[in-house]
Amino acid sequence: MVELALPKNSQMTEGKVWPKPAGATNTREFRVYRWSPDDGKNPSIDTFFIDVDDCGPMVLDALLYIKNKIDPTLTLRRSCREGICGSCAMNIDGTNTLACTKGMDDVKGTVKVYPLPHMPVVKDLVPDLTNFYAQHRSIEPWLKTVSPAPAKEWKQSHDDRAKLDGLYECILCACCSASCPSYWWNGDRYLGPAVLLQAYRWLIDSRDEAKGERLDNLEDPFRLYRCHTIMNCAQTCPKGLNPAKAIGEIKKMMVERRV
Amino acid sequence: MTNVTKSRPLSPHLQIYKLIPTMLMSIVHRITGAALYFGTVLVAWWLIAAASGPAYYDWASWFFGTIIGQVILFGYTWALIHHMFGGLRHFMWDMGYGYEKEFSTKLAIASAIGSITVTLLLWIVGFIVR
Amino acid sequence: MDMRTPLGKVRGLGSAKEGTDHFWRQRLTAVANVPLLIFFVVFIMTYAGAPHADVVAALANPFVAVVMALVVISALTHMRIGMQVIVEDYVHAEGIKIVLLMLNTFFAIAVGGLCLFAILKLAFAG
Repeated sequence: MVELALPKNSQMTEGKVWPKPAGATNTREFRVYRWSPDDGKNPSIDTFFIDVDDCGPMVLDALLYIKNKIDPTLTLRRSCREGICGSCAMNIDGTNTLACTKGMDDVKGTVKVYPLPHMPVVKDLVPDLTNFYAQHRSIEPWLKTVSPAPAKEWKQSHDDRAKLDGLYECILCACCSASCPSYWWNGDRYLGPAVLLQAYRWLIDSRDEAKGERLDNLEDPFRLYRCHTIMNCAQTCPKGLNPAKAIGEIKKMMVERRV
Repeated sequence: MTNVTKSRPLSPHLQIYKLIPTMLMSIVHRITGAALYFGTVLVAWWLIAAASGPAYYDWASWFFGTIIGQVILFGYTWALIHHMFGGLRHFMWDMGYGYEKEFSTKLAIASAIGSITVTLLLWIVGFIVR
Repeated sequence: MDMRTPLGKVRGLGSAKEGTDHFWRQRLTAVANVPLLIFFVVFIMTYAGAPHADVVAALANPFVAVVMALVVISALTHMRIGMQVIVEDYVHAEGIKIVLLMLNTFFAIAVGGLCLFAILKLAFAG
């Protein structure tokens, strides 16, 4: 049976309230999910106050402020700080997004920060994405051809290239998959919005010659058809992409090839 | 050796995810569907009652006329209308339209308002006709 | 301890290479349900609380009887495969899942059998 509540070891407790930065006049309250593999305790929610006048505008700036000036043990992934690497994907103010492109001003009141939902936690805000990456690998996200390779390149018309717009921009941050209740309950068998959007990106690529096999591998009550168009994916994507529509297009292909 | 990966907690999900109109209408679509599923028992009962003769039929009719019966029927009407509106949204999606963020949110809200309005209208008409 | 590779776990037992038929039947019956259930609602609204003789006379009409039977068949097919998805979504223990999926089919057939029997009796025997 699906577990709607959190398992015993995952239930959150009230954590430490860290002192306000000395001399700060303009502070902002942050409530951040903490868990360490080292102490055997349950996850907790720590309260931090950041000095807004001494901090950049983004949620990532605030988290790095906390790490640099309050608690250096706060653990998170980040790299590019400009929304192109996908490392700092997390749940901020109830929706999944990238900490680096989410302005603090977009959040009212206390800023609540959790790791991506329904994932095993490695430490603090770092989820274990092993399964997610393996699912991506399983759809074979590369050009597959049978024809002899051309001397220069596989050609593609402008119109066919345009079909990849809204798909190639996906940075695999996992915000959408971790927002999907269907992925929460069946993430072991359902591929989830991000991976299905990637699958569609190769299905619709005019240069690819493995459309049929790709569809064969997706045609499954769980891999594809757990999508119930809940739409959380499209609502949450920090890049403004629409995985729900991509999945809808895959379903249309499935019907098209048999009627 | 303790199993590090096994002791990892599960990050919170339903507990922290912000409920948005599209998400809410999706689960309501499912709940109304499940309610209609079990409600078919009432349809079967009513048909059997009609087939059994006047005495039993009158008793079933009496039940549906009581306050409890009326509340059940009103809920059943709403569930049916709401599920139908949700279904119409699915038709649109299946044909490849209406996935835009703002539009889908508006449509989710509209389907809730629409289903309640149509249900009320049907019952008002029902009472006037009677 | 599970020492399978992540990719091995994801690939699992492989693709079932089906699901589209289920998807298609769900939509097919959904399309049919729209006019059929509008008919059903109008019928119920017209005859709710009506005397027994009126209802029997209405259901004895061949057109009404046939459409009613179609309402039952289409709606029950739709709800059976809909409930199948709910069970698959939430019930993960293989044994319980199979039992529930069977009960789901039995329920739909039982309700359908009762409804169709009543409709046929009313249509042919009054």
